[in-house]
Amino acid sequence: MTMAARRVAITGISSHWGAELARRLERDPRIEYLAGIDTEPPAVDLERTDFIEADARTPVLARLLPSTGVDTVVHCGILWWPEPGKPSRVLHDINVIGTLQLLAACERTETLERVVVRGSAAIYGCEGPSPLFFTERMAGEQPLRTRWQRDVAELEAYFDNFARRHPRLTCCMLRYQPEIAAGLQTPLVRYLTLPVVPTQLGFDPRLQLLHGDDATGALEAAVHNPARGAVNVAPSGAISLSRILRLARRPSLPVPHPIFGPALARLGDRLGTGSLYGDAVRLLRFGRGVDNRRLREEVGYEPAYDAESAVREFAGRTRGRRIGPTLHPASVLDRLGVAR
Amino acid sequence: MTAGTTTADRPAPEAVAEFLRRLRGGVERGLDPLSAAERAAGSLPEALGGALEALARRLRGEYREDEWGFDESFAEAVYPLFELLYDVWWRVQVDGVRNVPSHGRGLVVSNHAGSLFPFDASMIVVAIMKEHPLPRWARFMVLDWAFVLPFLSSFMRRVGGVPASPHNASRLLEQDELVMVFPEGIKGTGKPFSERYRLQRFGRGGFVEVALRTGAPIVPVAVVGSEEIYPKIGESRLLARATGAPFVPITPTFPWLGPLGLVPMPSRWRIEFCDPIDVSGYGPEAADDRTLVFDLSERVQETIQAKLYENLVKRGSAYL
Repeated sequence: MTMAARRVAITGISSHWGAELARRLERDPRIEYLAGIDTEPPAVDLERTDFIEADARTPVLARLLPSTGVDTVVHCGILWWPEPGKPSRVLHDINVIGTLQLLAACERTETLERVVVRGSAAIYGCEGPSPLFFTERMAGEQPLRTRWQRDVAELEAYFDNFARRHPRLTCCMLRYQPEIAAGLQTPLVRYLTLPVVPTQLGFDPRLQLLHGDDATGALEAAVHNPARGAVNVAPSGAISLSRILRLARRPSLPVPHPIFGPALARLGDRLGTGSLYGDAVRLLRFGRGVDNRRLREEVGYEPAYDAESAVREFAGRTRGRRIGPTLHPASVLDRLGVAR
Repeated sequence: MTAGTTTADRPAPEAVAEFLRRLRGGVERGLDPLSAAERAAGSLPEALGGALEALARRLRGEYREDEWGFDESFAEAVYPLFELLYDVWWRVQVDGVRNVPSHGRGLVVSNHAGSLFPFDASMIVVAIMKEHPLPRWARFMVLDWAFVLPFLSSFMRRVGGVPASPHNASRLLEQDELVMVFPEGIKGTGKPFSERYRLQRFGRGGFVEVALRTGAPIVPVAVVGSEEIYPKIGESRLLARATGAPFVPITPTFPWLGPLGLVPMPSRWRIEFCDPIDVSGYGPEAADDRTLVFDLSERVQETIQAKLYENLVKRGSAYL
C-alpha cells in the first residue's frame, strides 16, 4: 500500500470537478503541494494551487510535469459534454489524445506513485437487454454505439496498457455515472429541470445519478486510497426516470423514441439543454446501472446519497427556481391540500 | 378501497354534490377556483379522499421501487387481471406449491411455451401469490428482445422481469429473491404445435451454474396448458425480419383476425411444483465442473418432462 498523497497535480483544473477537488484538497493538511493544469485559469479562487497553463493535447506537459515532483496525478480533463469553445468535434482530441499525452508525461515523472482518472461508465454501453448492474469486469460485453462510448473505451485501453507497463504505479480508473447537482451546467441537469420534460414514449429507464458531493467525495477518497484497476462510482440502488420527474414535480411529455433525439437536438439550443451529446439519448431510453461494491469496500468510500435520496435532494433544491406555477398534477394536489 | 363507496354518514353522490355546491359558493364569493376547491375538499367522503390520497402519493413519486425497477404497488394493481385469467380463463390447478421456499433464495425452473405471449411466467407468479401459505413475488428472466420494445420493456420491469442473464440471476439470488428461469428460452416458445410438451435443449446449463454458485435450491416446475393458448401452425420469416422479432408465429387466429387474434385460447392449465433439489452441498466451485452441471441440468429436464406427461394425463381434454 502506498502512502497518502502529498504532492498532487490535477488536470482539467478549470472544469467544475477539477476545481471542486482542488478546493477540498487545499483544506487537507496532508497535501503539501497542489498543481492545477488546464488551458485557461480556473473561474473560482483557489488559494494554494499552482496553476500551470498547458494544453493536454500537446507534448508540452511532458516537459512541465516531471519538474513538479508530484506523487499523484488526477486526470479530471475528460469532458462528457461539449462546452463553449469546446465543440463536440474536438472532444475526441481532448479526451483520447489528451489522456495519451498525459500518460506520456507521467512516464517521465520519476516521483510518481499513482494515477487516478475520472472516467465514465459509458464504457459499459447502453442497451435494453444489458445486465442491470455492471461490475468492473463486465466492460466490453456490450456493443459501443456512440462516439463518446468508443472514446471512453479507447482511452481506457491506453490506460490499461500504461498500467501494465508500470506495475510500480497504482493506476485507478474511476467509472462515473452522470452527476446531478443543483446549478450544475450539464445538458442532463438542464434537461431534468426543463418546465416540461420530454421523455421517450413507452420507455422508463432506470438511472443512477450521482450526487455532486459524492462525485467529489469519491474522487478525494480515490486520491488517498486508490484501488488498482477500474472502480465504478455510482450511488447504491437505482431509480426510474418517471419517478425522478414525479419527485421533482416536472410534468413529462412522452415523445415517440425515433424523434426524441432529433427533436431535442433541434430544440436544445433554445431550451438551453444543448443537444444531449453522446449516449444521453440512449441512457434516457434504456438506462444503466452499475455495482458500486468496489468503491465501498476497496476505495473505502460510502456514498452519502443513494439513487433515490440524491434525486430527492436535487428535487428539493431545484423545485423553488421555476417561473410560474408548475403544471404537474402532484403540485396541483399539493395546493388542493390533499394530505401527505 | 375504491372511489365512490359510501362512508358511514353520507352516500358519495350527495357528498360530491355538496363539494360542488361549496365550490360554486366559493367562486361566487370571489375566490379563485383552486382555493375554492381546497376549501370545499373537506366535504368529500373518506373513501374518495383515500383514493385521491393514493393517487396523490403516486403522482408525488412517494412509492417504493427496488433497485431492479420492481414496483410492488404497480404489480398489485395489475394482479387482479392476471388472477382473472388464472381463475376463469385457464382454470389453473396447482400441485406442490409448498415446494417453493417461503423465504430465502430459490431458483424456479420451468418449461416454456405459448408462442405469441408466453403467459407461463405470470401464471406461476399468480400461483405462488394465491396458493402459497407465505405468498411472495417471484422475479423472472425475460427474453432480451422485450427490453428494446416500448411499453413492454417498462411493464416487464415493473412487474418483476429482468433481462435473461446469469449476472442478473446471480445478483437477485444473492439478495435472497425467488428467481424464475426458462432454460429452453425461445426454442421452447417457438416450437410448432405438433411438438408440444416435448422439452427442448436446456441451453448450456447456465441456470445450474448460477444455482451452484449461489447455493440456491432448484425447484423444477411443469406447466401444462400453456402450449394450447396460441397453437403455432407456422411462422412468418418476412414479418420477423421486418420487426426484428426472433420469430413471428402464425396461429389459427393470428394474424388473420388482427388484434382479436391476440386473445389466447381458453385451455385448461395444471402447474406442478416438484421437490426442490438442494445443490448447496456441492459448494460454489462446483459451478466450473461441466460434468456435474450437465448431469444436474439433465436431471431437472427429465423431472419436468416426466411431470409434464403425468399432468397431461391428469388434465384430460385440453379445452373443455
